[in-house]
Amino acid sequence: MIDCRALSARHGSFRLADVSFVVPAGKYGVVIGPAGSGKTTLLETIAGIVPQTSGALWLHGCDVTSVVPEARGIGLVYQHAFLFPHLSVARNIAYGAASPEVAEQVARRFGADVLTGRPVRALSGGERQLVALARAFARRPGVVLLDEPFSALDPRRRTIVRREVRALHREWGLTTLQVTHDFTEAGLLGDVAILLDEGRALQSGTPEEVFRRPASSYIAEFLGAENVLAGTARVLEERAPDWLEGEPAPLTPSVPSVPPVPQVPPAPSAHGYRAMEFTSGSLTLYVVGDFPAGAGYAVIRAEEIVLSLVPPDGSARNRFRGIVSELATLGALTRVTVDVGGVPLAASLTTRSAKELGLTEGTAVTASFKATGVHLC
Amino acid sequence: MMAAPSSPPARGAQRAVALVAAVASSLLLLFLAVPIGKLIGAGGLDGVRQLFSDGELRQALGLTAFTATAATLLGVLGGTPLAWLLARRDFHGRAVLAAVLDLPLLIPHPVAGIALLLLLGRESAVGGALLAAGLRVVGTPLGIIAAMLFVAAPLFISGAREAFARVEPRYEAVARTLGDSPLRAFLRITLPMSRRGLIASAVVMWARAVSEFGAIVVLTYNPKVASVLSYDRFTSFGLREALPVAAVLAVLALIPLIALRTLRGADDGART
Repeated sequence: MIDCRALSARHGSFRLADVSFVVPAGKYGVVIGPAGSGKTTLLETIAGIVPQTSGALWLHGCDVTSVVPEARGIGLVYQHAFLFPHLSVARNIAYGAASPEVAEQVARRFGADVLTGRPVRALSGGERQLVALARAFARRPGVVLLDEPFSALDPRRRTIVRREVRALHREWGLTTLQVTHDFTEAGLLGDVAILLDEGRALQSGTPEEVFRRPASSYIAEFLGAENVLAGTARVLEERAPDWLEGEPAPLTPSVPSVPPVPQVPPAPSAHGYRAMEFTSGSLTLYVVGDFPAGAGYAVIRAEEIVLSLVPPDGSARNRFRGIVSELATLGALTRVTVDVGGVPLAASLTTRSAKELGLTEGTAVTASFKATGVHLC
Repeated sequence: MMAAPSSPPARGAQRAVALVAAVASSLLLLFLAVPIGKLIGAGGLDGVRQLFSDGELRQALGLTAFTATAATLLGVLGGTPLAWLLARRDFHGRAVLAAVLDLPLLIPHPVAGIALLLLLGRESAVGGALLAAGLRVVGTPLGIIAAMLFVAAPLFISGAREAFARVEPRYEAVARTLGDSPLRAFLRITLPMSRRGLIASAVVMWARAVSEFGAIVVLTYNPKVASVLSYDRFTSFGLREALPVAAVLAVLALIPLIALRTLRGADDGART
């Protein structure tokens, strides 16, 4: 388990301030955040490389706040590998290995065994990352800290190595914390996501929670939410809305929606939620949420919005007629911007569906989404 | 947008600046190289011949090599931790410490000799205590070593500090997570990775120690190191007698530097 309690640290002029989160034992945590947000400093503080200035850090159920790095039982992999250039690849992997057998085993699993005859200087960036991973895992640490460890790997190799890391994590019961810029990776790997910005943890929770229910408009925009609308929320009904019960069934997709990066969470229970109305410019949205009345932001992910040429028969509470103002095709996906009374709504659908609908700029469409598909923050 | 081509007057001005820079650089290069070349050319052969016939010269050269080596070893021993500290740790007074370490490079070397005399002379507390312990510094090889150490150690510390600073601290961080104590990480990672820089700094220190005169002459005129012998022959017998000694001394100081440059060149070639 990694348990950071109001962890603060200073690295040069950078400050990590009051960072708190928990990655339970055997779980996989991902740290996301913009460049310079302190992700690497966070890992180095957990590793004991950057000294803490306040707060407490617990690893494997022990307070390691004042424990030296070599006694923390962690493995650390930097983005740039930092292989020891004066040692051979084999000696790098064996450097802190639990045993020669473990070193050999992990080298094989990461595909680094075929590199052992080559000097470190002759390795490519991706090969260096493989060796660095093998070196860290060969120690059989209880906690693994990974700083963008797949960034130099080609897509095919990245998939294989990611799978191997996840497999070792599971087989050895490791607790892992990985820094990534890749939201897909965060959704695929993470049990816990921590969003860091300017040295502070803005939000932590399951990737679904963080992606679906960002705590602020800033987080929503950072995580790539396409529709973040400023406006005012009003409570329609204090108790759980009766129309929520009609919503959980998936929409009849007149246009198949693109699966979101993380799995869509199950529709929230009506318990604790209220029926709300959110007004942004000329749009009035129906929302199910626990947000207090007043000014705020509505976040609607593009994949929540279904486009159809005629108003659909489904149960979606929010339906708006609009005109397609922009189409951007990115391979198999097409991003469609619909102008709804001057408010742009971005929807994501497969390129094939966009073609089937015959969408072009100026096409009149209905954009619909469920009340549960809107998150207020 | 394309950059506008430079106008003819601008190109002319560039050429003029380049010409002035080339002439100035060439003159300086000649000024630095010609005297050494001329010295070795004029006295080199005689110096080599004298090595076989002149016992005092052989003795002076032996003493120079021995004391310079001893001073360098002491400088490496004490200077390496200091250099690491300056390169790796941020602490109050670091700038002051760095300035203090540079001080011997800035003061005239006879002044350095006088300062050492004040510290190590028989009248001083330290010198008196050393004398009581049976260690006479002034007028012995120990005085030569002290003078060499004083003027040349800052060169090693400065070079070693740069060598350590060039090793990214994250290598040590990784070694720590792989089970190394700070000392073990230093010995297994930082030291080997900065080895070339450390050796180069030690060679520079050694060469500087070999060529030291001002501080040594104040502390220990006799026994004579090569630089003092060269001065002694010049003042006693003139240029003709001093020339071979001076030429041999110049070669002695140049050999390690040339060897170092050659090694560096070979290393750079191997890396490409």
